[in-house]
Amino acid sequence: MVWEQVVEFLGDAATWSGPGSIPGRLWEHVWVSVLATVIAVVLVFPLALWLGHIRRGAEVAGAVVNIGRAIPSFGILVVTVMLLLELGVSVLSVWPVLVALVALAAPPVFTNTIAGIQGVEPATVEAARGMGLTEGQLIARVEMPLASPVILEGLRIAFVQVIATATLGALVAWGGLGRFIVDGFSQQNQGKVVVGAILVAILAVVAEIGLSMMQKASTPRGLSPGIRESPNVS
Amino acid sequence: MRRVFRNRAVGAILILALVATSCGSGDSAAGEPITVGSFNFNESVIVAEIYAQALEREGYDVERSMNLGNREVVKPALESGEIDLVPEYIGTIDSFLGGSPTSDAEATHAEAKALYEEQRVTLLAYSPAEDKNAYVVTGETASTHGLATISDLEPVAADFKFGGPPECPEREFCLQGLQTLYELEFEEFVPLDAAGPITVAALEGGDVDIVLLFSSQGVIAEKGWVVLEDDKGLQPAENLVPAIRLEVVEEHGIDLTSLLDEVSQKINQEDLTEMNKRADIDGEDPAVIAGEWLDENGY
Repeated sequence: MVWEQVVEFLGDAATWSGPGSIPGRLWEHVWVSVLATVIAVVLVFPLALWLGHIRRGAEVAGAVVNIGRAIPSFGILVVTVMLLLELGVSVLSVWPVLVALVALAAPPVFTNTIAGIQGVEPATVEAARGMGLTEGQLIARVEMPLASPVILEGLRIAFVQVIATATLGALVAWGGLGRFIVDGFSQQNQGKVVVGAILVAILAVVAEIGLSMMQKASTPRGLSPGIRESPNVS
Repeated sequence: MRRVFRNRAVGAILILALVATSCGSGDSAAGEPITVGSFNFNESVIVAEIYAQALEREGYDVERSMNLGNREVVKPALESGEIDLVPEYIGTIDSFLGGSPTSDAEATHAEAKALYEEQRVTLLAYSPAEDKNAYVVTGETASTHGLATISDLEPVAADFKFGGPPECPEREFCLQGLQTLYELEFEEFVPLDAAGPITVAALEGGDVDIVLLFSSQGVIAEKGWVVLEDDKGLQPAENLVPAIRLEVVEEHGIDLTSLLDEVSQKINQEDLTEMNKRADIDGEDPAVIAGEWLDENGY
């Protein structure tokens, strides 16, 4: 029964072209996920970099990721929608989804950046200072490259979580791949639901693999194989 | 010695837990509890609360499953016994059961009742209050394009965005009916919610040009919006009616059914619209609204 619905859904021309189509929703889903992650990075990366560099705020970083995980994205989404309705913003706006996803992406990026920078051997940092590097050069040429595996891990975790959670947008009339899941449920069309869910899963896996490869490729050659564990054990 | 005591204590706790869980929930002298459910919009919750609280005030044991979802979710739940009672609408339930509803409430009700009883669910007496699908545009849209009836949409439909609940394109009295009976093709269907705040905001904000709302909602008059007249008679009679499992009727008998019939008779169109307004616009709690209606009507 489900299989028949899947075949029927995939065989329908409307599924493949037009605003409600798979390519359309896929594009919506991807650009919102990318945008939310980029905004999160812009917001928290500089602060985390600085805190990491001055070796402060490790406990704060831990608390941030724990609290961040506990905050329900759906809750943020609905509250933001209601707020924007009060302000007269269009109900179909992407802002509630963006806000909820940025709130989701920020903690792993923040915490992993601090932990990564602080994980650089103090002796290495001291040696670099001794060689006459300015603080800025220290951050850019020593700390960041050495911390990059852990930082990129945080980015990877954030991005994959955002992709999976962007499906919630469909619950407040937004689009994205969640639309197939929500509409399929309303129409009792399990085929649609299954297709939507699998597409999200594929997207998340592709992002995971892609960023993993980037992580490995950008690890400086001089770094020992035993890379420090990031605090975000996923 | 200590280990024997600990093992016996654990054993005693396990047996206690087993007994406690096997006792189930809420079987009382009044018999099995009656589970009242509702659809996912305010009016349904209000009317379901009216029935639930009326039953409670008469000493029945009631459990609630409000805001379950749309009919695609609620109907199977009723048929499988997950809920026992839900306020239905005679026209749409008749259509869902394979019948042919018309504007004749009596005939539609009789047909729906006969069809549903094949699935061990019955419909009690229907209320004078109705709630039909209403196709609504803003006052400006209506005057700009000279819209008074649904047929008037024909020249402009291709430029109009239609907003409604996600199941609307699959529903005979919703988009499907507009396509077949009125031959209207809209520019785009925008999935919103079931005539809730998102739909209202979308029409108000101009994100869509026409929406599905429910005829008994006070928000339509409040915003000065226009309900397009159903000139070709797509919507059948849609009187409120309690759908209840035959098993529950057989267990509790005429005391239960006559109570529910009496309540249904007292719910009139004005009361319904007023209660909807309080929930949709004033944001009051449906359970409170229902309680006050029962107070005012002698329960």
